[in-house]
Amino acid sequence: MIEEKTYRKYLEALIKGDKATCSVIIKEKLDANINIKELYTGLFQRSLYKIGELWESNRISVATEHLATSITESLMHMTYPIIFESEHIGKKAVISCVASEFHQIGGKMVADIFELHGWDGYFIGANTPEYELYRMIHDKKPDVLALSLSLYFNLPKLLHLLEQINEWFPGLDIIVGGQAFRWGGREEVEKYEKVNYLSSLDELEEFIANNTKP
Amino acid sequence: MKDQIKLKYLNDHASLMNIECDRDGIIKEMNAYARKIAGDMTGKPFGNIVLDFTNTFNFEEVVKNGEQSRLLNVATQNNTPQTFYFRFFSTEDTIMALGELNHAELSDLETKLVRLNNELNNTSRQLQKTNSELKRLNELKNKFLGIAAHDLRNPIGLVISYADFLLEEAYDKLTDDERLMLERIQSSAEFMINLINDLLDVSRIESGKLELNLQAVDLVDLIKNNVELNQVLAEKKSITISFEHLEKIPPVKVDARKIEQVLNNLISNAVKFSHPGSSVKLDIFRDSKHVNVSVTDYGQGIPKEERPKLFKTFSRTSVQATGGERSTGLGLVIARNIIMGHGGDIWVESEVGKGSTFYFSIPLKK
Repeated sequence: MIEEKTYRKYLEALIKGDKATCSVIIKEKLDANINIKELYTGLFQRSLYKIGELWESNRISVATEHLATSITESLMHMTYPIIFESEHIGKKAVISCVASEFHQIGGKMVADIFELHGWDGYFIGANTPEYELYRMIHDKKPDVLALSLSLYFNLPKLLHLLEQINEWFPGLDIIVGGQAFRWGGREEVEKYEKVNYLSSLDELEEFIANNTKP
Repeated sequence: MKDQIKLKYLNDHASLMNIECDRDGIIKEMNAYARKIAGDMTGKPFGNIVLDFTNTFNFEEVVKNGEQSRLLNVATQNNTPQTFYFRFFSTEDTIMALGELNHAELSDLETKLVRLNNELNNTSRQLQKTNSELKRLNELKNKFLGIAAHDLRNPIGLVISYADFLLEEAYDKLTDDERLMLERIQSSAEFMINLINDLLDVSRIESGKLELNLQAVDLVDLIKNNVELNQVLAEKKSITISFEHLEKIPPVKVDARKIEQVLNNLISNAVKFSHPGSSVKLDIFRDSKHVNVSVTDYGQGIPKEERPKLFKTFSRTSVQATGGERSTGLGLVIARNIIMGHGGDIWVESEVGKGSTFYFSIPLKK
């Protein structure tokens, strides 16, 4: 559980670009054996959503937003010793952002939550060309493909991608999510038979639990 | 006057190139930022700071046509062209060019930076993941080694006991061939026990279970005991082991049994790789922070390129034991881990054809 006071202190430090203070807060939480998903949603996700809002309302610069993102990504590395030590269960997920998107934190969080539950989460970096994604699906033969969409105007690209994947890899379970869906698009993606929209990391955990059972 | 000061301050500190030229395009003045970007080009034509000649930039045309703005690539001092958006203002005898770094280019740079940062983060994630997987596999390997070695030790112990029993109790009833076979069973089983013990040690050490029982120990006494123990082995090859020490060595805090294991390993190796009839020498000496022990043989020596392999698990060199003795290839790995566990160091100096000296050091204060 993240206390409001801790969140405020963290957010303030993040906006200032004070990585050291943020690191101390994360370390304290990890030392206290915090649930990783709570850390991701209660600190990383919540603070980045807030930073996004502040940027949209022109109260912070794009540079501040980028710095906060960069700090958050490096702080996520602190959780890796815990995430990657989970016992592997032989399930695989490929996680990717849609081409020409640079916002990759959401996708990485999804990959980490998969890892935390013993899946192999193969994360393909942001702005990856489509053919790289097809190659990865072909090579890894994942149980699930997760696609993250941050910007609503990239929805046509996602739909095109789903079209292709449906044709080339029929039967592959696909989950989609991301901030872009705040503006709509759920109906369009769920027209595809094997596609599920997940709105939160809680829903992702539920999905993983349902798909982990033998 | 106040406004002039303000203007001068702005001109000196703004991130804006301010270049004043005469009507022929010769630079008369440059502000600090313009000099920082393009270097001091006073007295030279404005065209000299522009890189993109294919863009048919011509200062005279700018003046003639009263052109107001233009994107220009500037030849910067650090040889990286940068695009500036220039606005030109004409007065009677002066053309003022104000150049602002092109934001589109800044945005491109930022995109590149974000991409690089993403790549760095992804590589780091992958590295950490691989590292965790390797750690897990290593733990699994150690666990397996531990179990395998532990379960093998008992039956092999039994084989040794029965071979001993038969050799002692039924010695007279056995033919020479049978005795030889039993002796081979005995020595092979003993080798296997040694190997298993070494494997257990390695897996214990690698899984962080090296426990040291530190007590103040007289290393000189410890060495003397080990020299005596190994003397029997050495005599079979007519090798003499000598230990001379000139300095007074204070007691050091070590785990006596573990250091004995190191000494035993180094001395038995020295005997193993020495020519019959040669000698092995031990020495102990101190410096301001450490007690150092050396074991020297006058055997074959170890080729330089093979020395880094010495302290690695299951790595063997091309150097052969002179009496056909066998080796598990783990002794030096264990010795190194024990010494490192004491906060010391272990190393070797060697010359092919002349022999080798193995050293280890133990901190005086721990």
